[in-house]
Amino acid sequence: MFKAIVSADTLGDALDSVSVLVDECKIRLEDDGLSIRAVDPANVGMVDLSLSAAAFESYETDGGVIGVNLSRLEEFVGMADSDQLVELELDEETRKLHIQIEGLEGTLALIDPDSIRQEPDLPDLDLSAEVAIEGADIDRAVTAADMVSDHIALGVDADAELFYVDAEGDTDDVHLELTTEDLIALTPGDARSLFSLDYLKDMDKAIPSDAEVTMEVGEEFPVKMHFDIAEGNGNVTYMLAPRIQSD
Amino acid sequence: MQLDEFIETLDDGERERRRKLAEEKSYAITEHLEDVEQSMDETLQGDALFGSTAPSVFVGRSSYPDVSAGVLAPVSEPDRAAAFETGPHWYERGYTIDDVFQSRTNLLNSSRRTNVHVADEWDGFTGVQREVAIADRPVDVEVGLDGRPEVDMDVSFADISTPTGPRATAEYADLAENPHVPKPVEYTLSDDDWKAEGAITYLYNRGLDVYDIENVLSAGALGEAQNRKLVPTRWSITAVDDTICGFLRGQLYNRPSVDKTEVWYNEYLGNQFWVVLAPGDFEYELVELKAPGSVWNPSGRGYYVASDYEGFEGRAEYVDETAGAYFAAKLGALEQLADRGRQAKVLIVRHVTPDYWGPAGVWQVRETVRNAFEEGDPGTAESLHDAVRQLLDQWPVGLDTLRRNSELVAGVQSSLADYTRGEGL
Repeated sequence: MFKAIVSADTLGDALDSVSVLVDECKIRLEDDGLSIRAVDPANVGMVDLSLSAAAFESYETDGGVIGVNLSRLEEFVGMADSDQLVELELDEETRKLHIQIEGLEGTLALIDPDSIRQEPDLPDLDLSAEVAIEGADIDRAVTAADMVSDHIALGVDADAELFYVDAEGDTDDVHLELTTEDLIALTPGDARSLFSLDYLKDMDKAIPSDAEVTMEVGEEFPVKMHFDIAEGNGNVTYMLAPRIQSD
Repeated sequence: MQLDEFIETLDDGERERRRKLAEEKSYAITEHLEDVEQSMDETLQGDALFGSTAPSVFVGRSSYPDVSAGVLAPVSEPDRAAAFETGPHWYERGYTIDDVFQSRTNLLNSSRRTNVHVADEWDGFTGVQREVAIADRPVDVEVGLDGRPEVDMDVSFADISTPTGPRATAEYADLAENPHVPKPVEYTLSDDDWKAEGAITYLYNRGLDVYDIENVLSAGALGEAQNRKLVPTRWSITAVDDTICGFLRGQLYNRPSVDKTEVWYNEYLGNQFWVVLAPGDFEYELVELKAPGSVWNPSGRGYYVASDYEGFEGRAEYVDETAGAYFAAKLGALEQLADRGRQAKVLIVRHVTPDYWGPAGVWQVRETVRNAFEEGDPGTAESLHDAVRQLLDQWPVGLDTLRRNSELVAGVQSSLADYTRGEGL
């Protein structure tokens, strides 16, 4: 059993953060809220999302897992204005999701969860530096790097106590430095890793510009980015594998 | 001659310079053109009837969709028609750039302006052209020409199509024999409910090489009925390579990776190729280093570096820097990987030396990469980057330039699975 009412805004943001990486996913329905974990087909980017029951107007479930086609579900949710409510109800018999938005009713066929790519384990990483940064600054860094290159280096200079971004293209370069004054917080440790901008741009799309993002970086190690959604009633963790040279 | 048909971005001065470069590097070509002119006089019956044996077709792309569609047939030595056709046999016989140009200048392109929407048209000139394209051996034809052919050499600086030679406008064409059409081609021809991609893959799996399939696609003999149209030769070459690459790539998604780094090398027609296969999920990049004095960089002082890359999930954007060579080289590498049932990170570095004075066509890239794997044992390295470091002293550009131009040299994509202990990913 699953029955919930949630604002279109909250649901839309949550789904967006997953759909930038995968087309379909499993949604785990738990007593205290729902969660999604998914990795893209190349095993390069991962998302781990939880949305607690408090993010919903009402939320009832006795547990279970459903498989959804994300773009279809997003289309449905997109029919609502951002302040409208979306009502979701699982029909156990037909394995369809009933969706109701102010008089608009629809049903969405679900996907057999067993046919969806297995959820990954979260790698247990020991990352040397941690940076708390505004979503808007990540966006600025990614946009600047994208002007000149297809990849971006994220690093921390422990001695200078600063977070930096480097991008090198065929002919042009971009370098951006954020000191402890520009950042919300910095736990220094030497770190530098190179990432594909294709992935980082997708993740950046889903990061609200006013979000406080905690970024953990290491030396040629995956980057982890956490931020809250739904006014603190949910959170997203992204993890992205680096492009490496010392393989 | 309509050189502009092949040239998109060159102004007249640049074009002139490149043409001169080709002429300076080979007097043989200009002399050969005179011979061709002479045989033309001998071959033409009356003033305009041309009888020969046509191995293939050519479809131009200017004024699309009203394109110049032609039958290629040798001016002399019609019994050697098959040898004049582009294919792996050129590589096997060690053709030089001169040989390529001579083969092609000996082929008269008798063409007519034709609308590409040919659907069911199997009569008249278009019909003859299509019959020649789908046949698997040269076909005897008679072509009525409108005036004397112009004898010249036409080179495509995009270097995708093979160069073409003399050209004449055809009034009509007749088949002088029944063409021999291979069974699989007959089958795709009769099924007009089949998308071109599927039909291309089918023909490839039935043993037709890309060169034959290009001809069949060019003649508008593949695909769903309403979509059957003539495809300009240059587009057709890339479309067939790309389609077959997609098919081969699809077989490798869940395959294990090669277990050690291999470095293969081959050179042909003034082009050197290094093919590095390294363990990991599939990625592919072609990096081209073009010497000053070579065909695309005739007046440059330094090396011109071009590259295109795709990750595990393929490429969404148009391949803009390396064009047809990107797919031709990728096909050579994917055939090798599919053969072994392994995936790999594939870095191909092509050095275009000053000895590559005339664009021979992209077949040269395809055959050189295909045959790279036939040349003895591969070099070994600890990793892709170790291989790059070892090869640096053979390359004309330094590591910094490569890093800036190559995604793979900058860093190969790792997988989250590399960081997860135990099961899961």
